[in-house]
Amino acid sequence: MLQLGALGEANAVVKRGAAAPVALVQATKAFGGTIALKDASFELCAGEVLALLGENGAGKSTCVKLLAGVHAPTGGHVEVDGKLVVFHTPHDAQAAGIAVMHQHPGLFPDLSVAENIYLGHMPRDRFGGIDNAAMLDGARKVLATVGLDVPAETQLGTLRTSEQQLVEIARALSLDARVLIMDEPTAALSQREVERLFTVVADLRQHGVAMMFVGHRMDEIFRIADRIAVLRDGRLIGVKPKTELGRAAAITMMVGREVTDLYPERNHATGALVLEARGLSRASGFSNIDLKLHAGEVLGLGGLVGSGRTEIARVLFGIDQPDAGEIRIDGEAVRFASARAAMDARIAYVSEDRMGQSLVMNFSILDNAALPVLDKAARSGLYGTDRAIDLVSDWLKRMKLRFSGYGQPVKDLSGGNQQKVVLAKWLRTEPRVLILDEPTQGIDVGTKAEVHAMIADLAAQGMAIILISSEMPELIGMCDRIIVLREGHRTAEFARGEATQEKVLEAATKAGENADPAALAESAAGAGKKKAPLDMLKRREFGLLAAMLAVAIPVTMINPRMVSAANLTAVSMDAALLVVAALAQMLVLITRNIDLSIAAVIGLSAYMAASMVQAYPGLDIGIGLATACAVGGVAGLINGLVVTKGGIPAIVATLASMSIFRGFNSIWAAGDQISADEVTQAWLDMTGQKIAGVPLIVAIAIIILCLGYVLLYRTAIGRELFAAGSNPDGARLIGIPVDRRILLAFGMAGLLGGLCGALWASRYATIDARVALGFELTVIASAVVGGVAIRGGSGTLLGIVLGALTLLVIKNGLTLVRVDPLWLQGVYGLVILVAIGIDTFIVRRADQARQARAR
Amino acid sequence: MKKFLRSIDFWDLLLATSCLAIFLYAAIFVPNFVSGFNLSQLAASASEKALLILPMTLLIITREIDLSIASVLALTSVIFGLLVQTGVPTLAAIPLTLIAGGLLGAVNGYLVSGLGLQSLVVTLGTMALYRGIGYILLGTGSVNILPPAVVDFGINNLPGTQIPWTIVPFLVLAPVFAVVLQKTPTGKRIYALGGSPEVARYSGINTGRMVLKLFVVSGIVAAVAGIVYTARLSNARANNALGMELDVITIVLLGGVSVFGGKGRLTGVMLALVLIAIIRNVLALSQIGGDAQGMIIGMLLIGSLLVGNYWRSTQELLSRSRAMRETKG
Repeated sequence: MLQLGALGEANAVVKRGAAAPVALVQATKAFGGTIALKDASFELCAGEVLALLGENGAGKSTCVKLLAGVHAPTGGHVEVDGKLVVFHTPHDAQAAGIAVMHQHPGLFPDLSVAENIYLGHMPRDRFGGIDNAAMLDGARKVLATVGLDVPAETQLGTLRTSEQQLVEIARALSLDARVLIMDEPTAALSQREVERLFTVVADLRQHGVAMMFVGHRMDEIFRIADRIAVLRDGRLIGVKPKTELGRAAAITMMVGREVTDLYPERNHATGALVLEARGLSRASGFSNIDLKLHAGEVLGLGGLVGSGRTEIARVLFGIDQPDAGEIRIDGEAVRFASARAAMDARIAYVSEDRMGQSLVMNFSILDNAALPVLDKAARSGLYGTDRAIDLVSDWLKRMKLRFSGYGQPVKDLSGGNQQKVVLAKWLRTEPRVLILDEPTQGIDVGTKAEVHAMIADLAAQGMAIILISSEMPELIGMCDRIIVLREGHRTAEFARGEATQEKVLEAATKAGENADPAALAESAAGAGKKKAPLDMLKRREFGLLAAMLAVAIPVTMINPRMVSAANLTAVSMDAALLVVAALAQMLVLITRNIDLSIAAVIGLSAYMAASMVQAYPGLDIGIGLATACAVGGVAGLINGLVVTKGGIPAIVATLASMSIFRGFNSIWAAGDQISADEVTQAWLDMTGQKIAGVPLIVAIAIIILCLGYVLLYRTAIGRELFAAGSNPDGARLIGIPVDRRILLAFGMAGLLGGLCGALWASRYATIDARVALGFELTVIASAVVGGVAIRGGSGTLLGIVLGALTLLVIKNGLTLVRVDPLWLQGVYGLVILVAIGIDTFIVRRADQARQARAR
Repeated sequence: MKKFLRSIDFWDLLLATSCLAIFLYAAIFVPNFVSGFNLSQLAASASEKALLILPMTLLIITREIDLSIASVLALTSVIFGLLVQTGVPTLAAIPLTLIAGGLLGAVNGYLVSGLGLQSLVVTLGTMALYRGIGYILLGTGSVNILPPAVVDFGINNLPGTQIPWTIVPFLVLAPVFAVVLQKTPTGKRIYALGGSPEVARYSGINTGRMVLKLFVVSGIVAAVAGIVYTARLSNARANNALGMELDVITIVLLGGVSVFGGKGRLTGVMLALVLIAIIRNVLALSQIGGDAQGMIIGMLLIGSLLVGNYWRSTQELLSRSRAMRETKG
């Protein structure tokens, strides 16, 4: 069959004559030991929509990623206009005119909506910087096209999931590509939003764009597609024009056999009421949910992704706490503070996210399966492998798991076998209530049937089962009753026999004419608070200023020298040094890395610069600066290369390079010290001289900050640094060379560290191998206190300046009131803790406010 | 036999071979290396680091880190010294110091697990804070008049052997940690938590309490190390063990524990400890200073991790081509 499909395609190409804009030819893709796609060939034609149909795990997303340049085929190739091409990065595919809407949006919560849309292809002004006006203008237009009504300046992280999906669509449209690939774009969208998207697609078809649509909903596929390609188990089963392919035929091709015999007969009686929820609500999840579950019953929860199904399951399993309502087990109200409590009440939850929440991928089968019953495997306190095998082997055998040994890592298993391990793991806890969240997602047809048979069997034995599924036939085929949810509300309940696909779908998607007035009021209230992020920013800066004043005012009253010109000059010169170093650290931190070696780089470059000035007094400033920058730049590049090419986490790499740079410095210096009279006066004047009362070093720091501002906020590369830290995988997905950006950040940080070293050497004149020892703590503290997030993606220049000033004002104040300088360290520590404590508090409040707005 | 061979980790084998090679090299080429006195000194000087690697290993396996561990050592050393100085009997001072260590660890643990802050930043803060408190309590001064029993513990060997008393706390605690990590449900939970915090949470493991407990343990063990350090140098002061956290973390990472969590065993970490202790000793005997030693160990860390990464990617390549062959036809 496969051969036939491929041959038919080949003939089609010959007949049509003109080459397709893009095609896959005999493409094969393997990940580690598993083959995701095997010998698939198809083409996308101009002015046509090809729908890609297949069950989860059939290889659809792999096809998308091959065409998008995210993965390179292991065998076969991609053709553009009939010519063989190799996409090294998603950027190459973009350059070939291919735009992609990814299934999991590769978006950046810390950047604005407009930046998200234009990242990777930002409009430039005549200096090569970002043309903000053009970008905002373009963003507004394309947002209007997809029907998303939010200001283009809004920070993306504040949008809802469906709104973010629309931004992803807008991003793909903004590319004006000739090939558009849509990977399940409608999964999180409402009916109205889907209609809008289809209008756009129809328009693009008129303009000759070649499109590929990946989806699960048959209705949508048969509405939008011209041709349909069906995949099963990583193989292309065939490509047919829509007119030649009926729904039944398409489904048969997808699953490989008739659908009717998929679901087991179930006709036993249900028992007593086991679990009951009354008025269960949780902000941003669902509200006022009632449900009853009896022994031996399979209760279905239907609805779109994000309709609140999983959120209900999480509350029933004790992962989240409800805001209102109660859960009753056997008629008694219970509260689950944790998953453990729910497990003690004999509830088990098979999560929809197999890799993220069900299995530790590099653990063995045994360790995964025994995880919830570890205590049972440790009779005398010591864990026994044999006893653990005894515990889980029974279920694994019943599940007909195909495996080579209990010690085999689960990541080597196929999706279906992995799911069997998950089921065995939970069934071993002997639950009375089993919650199955998408239990057949991404598994092969055979295993699927086994899982269905098992569900029927367990129910027949009296287990109460909740089944959450996006597959309509599965819900209808398996469940005694189906509750349908839409946007967190219960919209319908069907008994077995009265549910049809159409009825369930309608209940799940019907646009809410009778929308909850409370929700409307809340969202209106939220709209009034749109400026919240900006206020927060103000508050942080205000807080730092207040902290400075809180130190400065009382100190000035005790010791008026605080505000003397000499003292202010000294503080400003220290601040200049610290701000340059903090900027270096910020560059690295925003890419989600850290540079612990910064002080060692400063020390090394300071010493090298000073010794060069000593050796060549005639060239003093020139050679000093050049040496320091060269040393710093090289050190930074070494760090960057070890992190990006060597794949070593930044914290480890720079921890080691810190010792290496220090050690090298110490060996080089061999205990020597360079004092003020060994260098030239001009070198010392480089920082000490005052222009209009301002020390030169401060002017230099201000210039560096201005350059930093231009780099970070006015160039595309700067925004890509933020993007790389905000969502590294997303950045790779849209073709940002993340590794090169990280290398750049380390290189720049090294360069700035070198410059800081030169300034240090000039300011302090006397230099030895221990310069700036322990300074990294102060540098990181300035960045953290200034609001640069260690998790990457966010931070402001004003923040680091104020952070650095705050620390120095505290230091200066303590010195002036004659507090022992040794105490300073403790105070810095306290300041860091207070700053991150307040940060977390603010972020939490913002999250709560957002969640309240989301519903 | 085959099973036994497979159970040996490639990394452990590499570390063991390196230890042996360097030991042999030193025995032949470095004078005074294989003297009982030198080896005894070697063991004594590693006493505190040996203790600190135990909780650090557990923390890094669970994806956390404790940068404040050397500061806790210093502060508990100061507390112990002050207690002894004010006339508290040694037998009462020791448990009080351990409790203080536990409390310091609990503060870290609460900030990390209770407030959900990143342990890297939290312990960076407490690293400065705890040492600062040490300075506030004792300034630059020191307590160096200690009870004879403590001094004896610090300098004597086990009767009839060359084994210093100071390494005994490690020799007692190490098997306990190893058994807990490899042979108990708690150990399995620690690995699960590091392997995937979400999976651990969904499997009914109380992840917050586990992290809190580990930080408390870290504080208590650091307090033990604080007492050992005080006894060994007959000195309680606030700048004790300055920068030791870096050495400790280096040893743990060199021992094959991944900062991404879920991986690594105490055997590897202990081999790394021995390796680094020998290297430092050999370098010191060859008149090479502390900074240069640090440089060599830094290079060793980066070099070994690079080798490990390339080894792994080569293996993945092999397994993929094997899979491709198997599915042909």
